[in-house]
Formats: sequence, C-alpha cells, structure tokens
Amino acid sequence: MTDESRPPRENLWLLTAAPFIWLAHLLLSYITGAVWCAKIAGRGGSLGAARAAIAVYTLLALAGLALVGWRAMRRRRPVEPGPAREYDAPGDRDRFLGRTTLLLTGLSALAVVYAALVALFIRSCR
Amino acid sequence: MSEPSPEQVGAEQAARLLKAWETPTGWRYWSAVNNSAVGVWYTASSFFFFLFAGVLALMMRTQLAVPDNDLLSADLYNQAFTVHGSVMMFLFAIPIFEAIAVLLLPQMLGARDLPFPRLSAFGFWCFMLGGIFLCGSIFFDAAPRGGWFMYPPLTSKYQPGIGADMWLLGFSFIEVAAIAAAVELIVGTLKCRPPGMRINLVPLYAWYTLVAAAMVLFAFPPLIAGSMLLEVERAFGWPFFDPAGGGDPLLWQHLFWLFGHPEVYIIFLPSVALVAMMVPTFARRPVVGYDWIVLSAIGTGFLSFGLWVHHMYTTGLPGVSLGLFSAASTAVAIPTGVQLFCFLATILMGRVTRSTPMLFMFGSLAIFVLGGLTGVMVAMAPFDFQAHDSFFVVAHFHYTLFGGAVFPIIAGFYYYYPLVGNKMLSERLGRLAFWLMFIGFNVAFLPMHLTGLRGMPRRVFTYPAAAGLGGLNLVSTIGAFILAAGVAVIVWDLVRPRSREPLAPRNPWDAGTLEWVQEMPGKPWGIRSIPQIDSRYPLWDQPDFLRNIDEGRFYLPDAEEGLRETLVTSVVDARPLFCQRLPGPSFVTPLAALTTGGFFILGTFKLWSLALASLVAALLVFVFWLWTGTARVPEKQEKDVGCGLTLPLYASGSSSIGWWGVFITMLADFTAYVCLVFGYFFFWTVHADFPPAPVQGPGVLWPGLAALLLVGAWSATWLARRWNRRDRGRACHLGLLGGAGLAALGGAALVAGPLATGLDPTSHAYPAIVWLLVIWTAAHVGIGAIMHLYCSARRLAGHMTPRHDADLGNVVLYWHFTVLTALLTVAVIAGFPLLA
Amino acid sequence: MTRFALSSSPDTASGRRRRATIRATDLALLAGVAALVACAGPQSALDPAGRGAERIAELFWWMTAGTVVVWAAVMALAFYVSTRRREPGPRAPGVLIVGGGVVLPVLVLTALLIWGLALLPSLLAGVDAEPTLFVTGRQFWWEVVYRTSDGRVVPLANELRLPVGRPAVLQLDSHDVIHSLWIPALAGKVDMIPGRVTRLTLEPSRTGVFRGLCAEYCGLSHAHMAFVVAVTEEHEFAEWLAHQAEPASAPASPLAARGQELLLAHGCGACHTIRGTLADGDVGPDLTHVGGRLSIAAGTLSSDPRAFQRWIEAPEQVKPGVHMPAFAMLPQADREALAAYLEGLK
Repeated sequence: MTDESRPPRENLWLLTAAPFIWLAHLLLSYITGAVWCAKIAGRGGSLGAARAAIAVYTLLALAGLALVGWRAMRRRRPVEPGPAREYDAPGDRDRFLGRTTLLLTGLSALAVVYAALVALFIRSCR
Repeated sequence: MSEPSPEQVGAEQAARLLKAWETPTGWRYWSAVNNSAVGVWYTASSFFFFLFAGVLALMMRTQLAVPDNDLLSADLYNQAFTVHGSVMMFLFAIPIFEAIAVLLLPQMLGARDLPFPRLSAFGFWCFMLGGIFLCGSIFFDAAPRGGWFMYPPLTSKYQPGIGADMWLLGFSFIEVAAIAAAVELIVGTLKCRPPGMRINLVPLYAWYTLVAAAMVLFAFPPLIAGSMLLEVERAFGWPFFDPAGGGDPLLWQHLFWLFGHPEVYIIFLPSVALVAMMVPTFARRPVVGYDWIVLSAIGTGFLSFGLWVHHMYTTGLPGVSLGLFSAASTAVAIPTGVQLFCFLATILMGRVTRSTPMLFMFGSLAIFVLGGLTGVMVAMAPFDFQAHDSFFVVAHFHYTLFGGAVFPIIAGFYYYYPLVGNKMLSERLGRLAFWLMFIGFNVAFLPMHLTGLRGMPRRVFTYPAAAGLGGLNLVSTIGAFILAAGVAVIVWDLVRPRSREPLAPRNPWDAGTLEWVQEMPGKPWGIRSIPQIDSRYPLWDQPDFLRNIDEGRFYLPDAEEGLRETLVTSVVDARPLFCQRLPGPSFVTPLAALTTGGFFILGTFKLWSLALASLVAALLVFVFWLWTGTARVPEKQEKDVGCGLTLPLYASGSSSIGWWGVFITMLADFTAYVCLVFGYFFFWTVHADFPPAPVQGPGVLWPGLAALLLVGAWSATWLARRWNRRDRGRACHLGLLGGAGLAALGGAALVAGPLATGLDPTSHAYPAIVWLLVIWTAAHVGIGAIMHLYCSARRLAGHMTPRHDADLGNVVLYWHFTVLTALLTVAVIAGFPLLA
Repeated sequence: MTRFALSSSPDTASGRRRRATIRATDLALLAGVAALVACAGPQSALDPAGRGAERIAELFWWMTAGTVVVWAAVMALAFYVSTRRREPGPRAPGVLIVGGGVVLPVLVLTALLIWGLALLPSLLAGVDAEPTLFVTGRQFWWEVVYRTSDGRVVPLANELRLPVGRPAVLQLDSHDVIHSLWIPALAGKVDMIPGRVTRLTLEPSRTGVFRGLCAEYCGLSHAHMAFVVAVTEEHEFAEWLAHQAEPASAPASPLAARGQELLLAHGCGACHTIRGTLADGDVGPDLTHVGGRLSIAAGTLSSDPRAFQRWIEAPEQVKPGVHMPAFAMLPQADREALAAYLEGLK
C-alpha cells in the first residue's frame, strides 16, 4: 500500500468529473429548453426564462469546473522533484492524472461556453 | 543425485504451461475460448461481412451509374442499402474493433487471456449466428428495407414483412454480444494489466479501447430499448411510435441517434488506437503528448454523447435545441484534431521509416481530415438543412469511416499480421492495394459532395436524366470499382498460400510494446511469464526484458496445477492482487449462443411459444455455465506466483473481477431502463394531458405495496450475505429464500397495478409505456429471485462458504440496481401522475 | 475568340510561349465556367433562387474555402514532418500540439459557430407566421392546399407555384410515413412527420422552374417522389391561383368527353377529385387541373397525352409501390380517351 499515495478510485473518478459536468450542463439546458417550448411557451413563444436558466446552469458548471481544475492543479504539482523522464514513480502517475484532468477541464469549459453562446443568439422557441 | 538444471526446470514449466493452454484439436477446436482462437475467428468473420456489404455497395453503384437504370428493382435496391449500412455498422465496424481488441489487448497487457474467456466466445457465437441470419435474408428477398436507421412509421405499419423484425431482433441479439465483449474489455484493461503498469504507462491502445468499450456500454442500451419498443409495436400493436395511438415517431429518432452518434466514435477511436501503436514504431521514438492523446480519447468519448440531435436538425425542433447540439458538434472537433497533431509531432521528432502501414496511415490522415472538416460543415445547422439526407452526407461519412476506420484497420492488418499468421504480408501488394484504394476511394466519394448539393437525396434507387446528375454518378461508380480492386488485392494478400515463405522474425518492426514479445510461431499461452513493467515501451527501455520473459523469470511461469491462470492487479497502480483461474475450452458457449439466438430468431417468425421455450433453455444453459464454470472454491488459499510473491486464489466483492463484470453489465442494463423512463417523459412533453384524461393510472396502492415488498427482498439479500459471512447457514438460507419469496410477491404486486386498473396497452402510448416499465422491472425482479435460489443451492452444494462468497456478493450488487429500478418505476408510474 | 487567334499564330518560339500563357488563362476560365456549370441545375443548392438557399450557399462557399485551406495545410505539415531534414527544436512538438491542435481550431471553430448561430434565427423566421400553403406528404406524392387571402381553400397536388420576392409560409405534415420536403434551389429541407406539424418559409428571389423532392427515405418509390416548383411574377401567380380555384373545364372534344364518361364509369372518382364533376375521392391526387401541370405522377412524367396513357396503363412500372391500380385491361382506345380528357383539364 505504500506506493498508493491516494485511494485509487478517487483518482479515476476525478478524471471524468469535468466531462460529466459538461454533460449535465448540456442535458439540463436541452431539457429546460425543450420542456419550456413544448409545455409553457409554445411554438414561437419567447425563450425568456429558459435562457436565464441556461445562464444559471452555465455559471454553476463553470464554478464546478473551476473546482475540478483547482484540484487537478494541486495534484499536478510534483510531490517531490525527480528526474523528468522517470515514469515509474507514484508522483508521475499523479502528475499524469492531474494534467489529463486539467486538460479535460479546459475542454469541458470550452464546450460549456459554446453551449452558453446559444442562449445569446436564440431568443425564441421557433 | 543432482539438482535439475535451470534449463530442465524451465523446459518442464514450459511443457506444463503449454498443456494447460493447449488449443483443442479436431472438431473440438470449436470449443476453444482462448483469445488467440476467438480473436482470429472474430476478426476474420467481421472482415468477411465487410466484403459482403461491399459487394452490395458495388451493386448499388452499378445501378446508379446511369440515370433511369433498371438493373436492380426498387425493392432490391432498398434491401441492398439497408443491409449494406446495417452490416457495415453492426457486423463489421463494431465487431472488428472488439475482435481486434480481444486478439491484441491481452498481448499488449502481457495477460494470458481476457478475464472472461467464455464470455468472449459466447459473444463471438452470438455475432456469427445473428450475422449469418441477417445477411442470408437478402437471398430470400426477406431482408430489412427500412434504411439502417429504420425510422418508424415506415418500419412499423408500412412494412409488414419479417425484414424489420429481423433487423430489430437480430441486431438486438448482436448488440447483447457487443455489450458482453465491452464488459470483457473494460475489466481486462482495468484489472488484468501486468504488475507495475501504472495508469500512466498503459499502452494508448488500451486507453482507447477502454473509452470505446465504455461508450458501447452507454450507447447500445438506447438502441436496445428503442428496438424493444418498435418490435413490441410491430408484434403486439402497442402504439409507441404511431401518432394515431398517442405515440410519436420522433421518440425512435432520439433513441436511435442517442446510440447512432456515439457509435461513429466507437468505430473511430479503436482505429485511431491502432495508429497510436504504429506511429511510435515507425517514428522510432515514444509517442509525443501521451496525456493529450488520453484527453482526446476521453474527451471525444464524452462529447460524442452530446451530438445526437444533429441528425435531427430538419425535424422542426426549436432553434435552441439545434443550437445546443450544433455547439457540441463544433466542440468535438477539437479533441478529434488534437490527437492527429500529437501523431504528427511524434513523426516530427522521430525518423520515419517507410512501410505499407505508414502509407495507409498517411492515406487515412488525408481522407479523415477531409471527412472531419465536412463534419464541421454539417455541424452548422443552417448548412445541414441543405446537406442532410443528401449525397453530401453520404460522402462525408464515408470519408470519416474510411479515413477513420478502414484505412487504419488495413494498416493494422499489415502491421499485426505476423502476430497471427507468423509471416509478413507483401509490401509490394500492400503498396498496390493502397494506391488502388486511395485513388478509387477519392474518385468514388469526392464527387458525391457535389452530387448531393446538386440535389441528389440519399437512398434513391434511380434518378431522372433531366436532373443532370449522370456524369458525377458515373465517375463515382468507376471509383467504386477501383476501390474494390484494391480491396481484392488485400484479400489476395491475406489468403494467398505462403508455405514457402520464411517465418517472420520476432518483433519484425522493432516495436517497443508488449504484444511484440510473442515468439514466431506464437504459443497459445500468450506470454511465457508475466513481466514487471516500468516503462511505456518495455521492449525498448527495459534491459534483458525478452530474456527474462522467455526464461520464465517473471510471474506465473508455471502451471503446476494444470490450470489456466492470469494475474489480477489494481486499477491505478497495477499492484498484483490475486491469481485468477480462467476457464478452459467448452461447448457451453456456442450452446448458450444457440439457445439465446433461438429466442430472437424464432421471435422474428412470430413463433412466440417456441421462442419462450428457447429462452427457458438459454436460462438453463446459463445456470449450468455459471454453476460449473465460475466462482469455484480453490483447493488452496494462496499460491506462489513467482518473483517471491504469494497471492490469494479467490476474491469476492469489489476486488473480484466477477463483481466488476456484474457492475459494468448492470450499468448498461440500467441505461436501457433509463431510456424507457425517458420515453415516458417524452410522451408527457408531446401530450397536453398525460396521463390522457379518461385513462386511470395504475393507482398508488399496488405499486406502493410492490415498492415495500421489493425493498424487503433487497434487504433480505443483503442480510443473507451478512449471515453467510458470519457462518450462520440457516439464517443465510432463510434470507435467500425469504428474499426470493418477497421478490415474487413484489413482482406480482407490480403487475397487479396496471392489471387491476385495466390499462390496455394497445389503446394508447400511455398504458403501453406503463406496462413496459412494469414488465421490465418485474422481469428483473424475477431474475433476482432465481439468483436467490441459485445462491441457496450453491451454499447447499458447498460451492459457497462464509469465506468464498463471490456469488452472493454479485447478487447483492444486482439487487442494488434492481431495487433502484423498482423504486424509480413506482415513482414514475404511481408518483408522477399525482404531480402532473 | 482566343482559340481562333491561337490557331492562326505562327509556330515560332515566342508563339509557343504565348500559346502556353494563353492556355493557362484559358484553363482558368474553363475551370471557372466548369465550376458554374457544375453548380447549375434545376435542383442545385449551389444555384440558389431563394433567400434561404442564398444564405446557406454563402456559408457553404466560405466553409469550403476554409476546408480546402485547412486540409492543404495539414497535408503540407504531414509531408514536412515525414521528410524534414533539419533537427526540430525541443519546443517544436509543444507548439505543434498546442498551436495546431488547440489554438487555431478554437479560433476558427468559435468564429464559425457564432456565424452559424447568428444565421439560425433568420432561417427559422416565419415559423410562427400564418401559413398560406399546406403540404401533406403521402406515399409517394404531395397533397397541396392553398389558402387565399380571402379565405378560399384550393386543393391541388404535386406542384407548387410561388410569387417571386414574397415569403410564403408552408405548413407541412404527413399522411403516412416520414417524408421531407426539399427544394434545393430555394431553401433547406424540413421533414414531414405524421402526428406533427412543421413549417418552412420559402422566399424565391428569381423566377424560374425548379425541382423539389422528398429527401427522407419513405419506401419503395422514394426516388419517384418529386414535384415541380414554378416561381412567377406576382400577377401571373394571382391569375394562376384564381384559375386553380375554378372547377374543371368541360371536355373540349368528343374524345375527351368519352374520356370523362369512362373515368366516371371505371370508378376513378372513388380516389380522385375533379371539381365540378361527380369524382370526389380523396385517396389520390386532385385532378381538377391536372392537364395544366408541368409534370404528372409527382414529378416523374411530363404531362403530355402519351405520359397520361403510360401512367394509366402501368403505373406500377413507372412508380413501384404506387397505390393506383393499372388499367391495362381497358382497350387502347379507351386509354387514349381518358388521356385526352385528363390532358385537357388545363
């Protein structure tokens, strides 16, 4: 157990946290938009409240992503300085997981912002 | 009296190992379950299906060569494109990914085999049976003719023949096999790596396979759920997609594309994975940007689940839906592109050597990049309004599939052939095939972009001369035949007799990854001893690596008990956890496939009573399989696995691979269930009042009672495990039998709800979906009760002891999912009408 | 003209050089013409004649240019990395991955997404306006109903006529399976889904005759489900619509009169309507002014008497899976009379 500096499951789940936040953001925005247009506003109605909701989801998602990114940054920092190309150290595994998590956070943030752009341009249910 | 020499010891060990892993001969050969046998069958048969579907494509191209052609009738043409698309997707693209992975993954991970060899054999036999059934249908004019996405109502009321049933049931059967293989690959990647292969040392191929297999897990269930709805509508008239009965054809499109889009990336990622293994070899250096590529794989995998509506841009959905999916479709281009730049950077930093695989990879880049760029174009909803369902889209996806899958797979054939055939494929023929395929492909498909925008819709069996599309189509047809000539060269290269040629040298490409450890000719044991890994390219970096493996200095060099064994390690750091005994050859797998297939095939012909009999037979075969082949109590607790390490021989709960198998399977199962719940709420959004006014819901009494009873059954299961651990045998049996009883009562109460309120599923989509949720849940509860009885019997027979309780651990896990399903069902059918 | 001058030039060295340069420009010209010809056509999205199609074509050309540039750049890069002579610096791979794989794509894709999103509302505009034209998809033809400004309802089939320069809002649905209405020259397509109502706005910008078709696979004769769209000046359109609202004209010749008798006697009226006669079926297309249409059998045949005869004799051959029975058992003379009557329904 000495080479496991952190419980393994937490490591791998953190890797998927950022994309899951993106997925939740997309599905919530989609469901909100679709239900709003189908059940409340009707065809051609204003998207009003649904756009506001998408804005709120976006803020929440970005906050969540910032949190994940921050944790990844902390992990990425080398625990102890070592030779750069030595793969076989727990620190390397942590650096790898941290970096990949961070990259995924960036990608998810971009995709969330792309989705939020929609609420800027689309104003009605048509 | 002298000590035996180390050479003698080694030879004796090797002989024992060989005996344990021997592939059966004669007719018993077909009972083999080892990945080296099953993987080859699987790859060869999926490539055969590729050729079959390719011939259909040539027939279609010939028909379209000139306007107003009447070579094929409209009906035959419609069958041809339906079968072409379906076979390419379900019998070639997905299976060949799983086939190649079954073949190569254990080698790359230095494992003796995948964790569930019989499951892969079962998957193969299902695939083979279903594939022959589906392909054969076109010779009897009985093939499906609804297009590979089978949109109802065309495929429900308007095509009464058995073609559509064959598609729905046949492919559901094959999808079950695909999910089985995915479970296998996930557990294999996570738990069967060699000691020391930390998560950051895993070969990129394994990363891609992990992501693609996880995608199968969540992408296939929506289609299985959709197929179930459509088949029930066709067979019993429950109006899920029929607007006259409150159904909606768009529900099918959502479920289909929820599968269909990830599917494209499920095909693409494993093929890039091959590229990720080949590029470093030919660049003579480690891959650049390992973590960027992992980002790419995971990012693409996730984003591909947010694209499905871009196949529905023209269905009149509100602009906000189009926009959201347009945004995600744009974003997915980024991870897709990043990995290509990583490969280019690797080549930049290395010294590239010329070879046929490299040629195919460059061809793949040229084709795939164009397909990707036209993909960004059609991701723009406005442009898609024109391009959708036209030949532009046909051109686009053939570019992505040829560039993203066919060319990399052929490169992989040339690269990996020595591991299977022990000889090299011909460089000369390879180059010839490449140029024929590359030129032919572009001549065939580049003009199609223009054909489409000049107004040629897809799936037309002919077009009028006045439309001015004749020239472009003729060019495409000529290209198709050149392409076919290239494929023919490859087929010749694969099958030509080569007995006079010398064996390939060991590690002929001088690669750095573990699969090239294999001797020429290969031995059935996979690897002589399972190595300790501390690099991504152990053959390049670890000194004396091959010698240590060959001399059996690493783990598990011997099979003292004559049993097949492999190591199970931890997920992140690959610490050895225990030694897993693997099952050997058996005819139970083809038998299980035959009986399961019997249900689906007999169902196609509406022979429901025979189909049910076949299902019961399948159940018995499965019980026999589990009883004789799984969770056996070992003769000793621990064993010396070499290198001074002693590991346990048995594990239960979350450290056992069986538990992981159940967990992953249940994730897929639960996804299918969530799709049914999605159907319920989808109907709610399309109907002004739902449940529709005069119809009464199933009430609260029966569903509520069912919830109570099933929570009781779940608790009983949990308690039974506790009591078993404490060696309270009688209490354990009581818990199990009580659990089974409560489950039976709970299932009955659940069914009693809609029965007592007289819900008629043929009258409207609402009662239909309620009934379906109830039946789904009740079936799961029923299987759960059988599991209770099974565990009780196992304990009586001494196959389960307080210490060896893997079976019970898996059943508890199953019941976690089942009780969740039951509570959700009750909340939806009894709770939601109170709110709405 | 250039070609003529060219052939008369003396075969000297300078002449040969001149010929070479002229040929280069010639070739460029030819390529331009070829591109125009390649894009033209009665059903080409790249030869737009309507506002929607114009906007989409513009987007298409920009994206195509971008696609060509990016593709060429990636190919050039692939060529360079595999043939490079100079040893690359240690930062090269980072620059390649971050610059080429992330920064550039993000910039280009963001711009493109914003363009696409900004364009979307205008293409969906009018979806909430009052429709004037109702089209129902059926296997394998189009039921068309005009609603005039004074509230009259004019049932037609398999042909659209639109006034130039004025938006028309179409309401679409389906009688049986999913179809999709696509007039590439005018606008993008919109699906026709049973149980749902969708809308499409067409705003033709020039007059002409175009071809529309079904884009969603709808069964056996999906390939033969087309129609003609004629865009005319406003006044021509108004005249045409007024005429379409009238009942059918009386048979003009004895042959046509016999055709009318035969039509009613053989029960054609059970499926077809000819306003002003006893034929009032609603299974097949309205035939009141079928002779005045530019095509019959949903854009499959021209509307001359021979085509009518062929259709009556063997509709299944023209259009597999059609619901109309064949009338091959009628004597040739009877079929001729029927065709004459129908063709005369201008």
